[in-house]
Amino acid sequence: MKWATRAGVHVDRAACAWLVRRFVDEEAEFVFVEDPDHVPAGATPFDMRGVELSHHGGNCSFETMLVHFGLLDPVLTDIARIVHEADLADDRFDAPEAPGLDVLCRGLSMVRYDKAVLSVTGAFFDGLYEYRRRTLLLGNEPS
Amino acid sequence: MAAAHPNWVLLAYRLPREPSTPRVTIWRKLRRLGVVQLIDGLVALPADARTKEQLEWIADEVLEAGGEATLWLGRPGSIADERRLAAAMAASVAAEYQAVLAGVKDVSRGAGSSGRRSLRHLERELQRISRRDFFPPPEREAARAAVRRLAADLEEVAP
Repeated sequence: MKWATRAGVHVDRAACAWLVRRFVDEEAEFVFVEDPDHVPAGATPFDMRGVELSHHGGNCSFETMLVHFGLLDPVLTDIARIVHEADLADDRFDAPEAPGLDVLCRGLSMVRYDKAVLSVTGAFFDGLYEYRRRTLLLGNEPS
Repeated sequence: MAAAHPNWVLLAYRLPREPSTPRVTIWRKLRRLGVVQLIDGLVALPADARTKEQLEWIADEVLEAGGEATLWLGRPGSIADERRLAAAMAASVAAEYQAVLAGVKDVSRGAGSSGRRSLRHLERELQRISRRDFFPPPEREAARAAVRRLAADLEEVAP
């Protein structure tokens, strides 16, 4: 399936792309557009104004996707808090990792094209998922 | 003619009077971004990829709450106008840095319950302010230096 998002990906789009490829559509192919009007026919748009898989009611697109695809995994919920704060920094959650993740994604997008950014951030999020999964496994709820 | 590159992003919006919750939420978010309010329902930020995107999300939130919102890119008609905007924004963050400086004084006087916890709080507060500090006032360096000094002092007392 084809998925489309805005070019110049940052943390929320990177996290969404990782989520899609890992939990929704293994064969996902991503295209990057400058304007929402340029989304190719048949592609599913995300993290763009006026589309379903985007920011809604103060949630970032990653949070919207978790609800939309019915992903109830507590590890993903935990990652969503970090992505939310890295993207919006509105203090809804206490996520000390967020400023670091924000800086890493911002810096990456300065030196790599979108496709390469996604392959690096894909590894980030795989790692973050595993790290948080182990934390939850041992029952030490992250504060 | 001078370059007409738009360097400000503006959000013109109007929300229904009731319910009041979205009004409060949206105003808080705008404040957190550090907007300057030009008139009621018109706010501005210096334009970059991040500020434009953040205001886009807020515009959508206004629409979802049953209001009206349009996003504009532009530049003030004169340097004097732009300087006034920048000065208003600098004054607003300067007050926030002053509050951090006052916080440092309290901790040094031993007013805080835990010096270290207060220090963490002040450091995070500094980080938050610097995200919306588009035209840094002199108070920024003063506040940063004071927090650094406090960190060094606490290190000395209890290594």
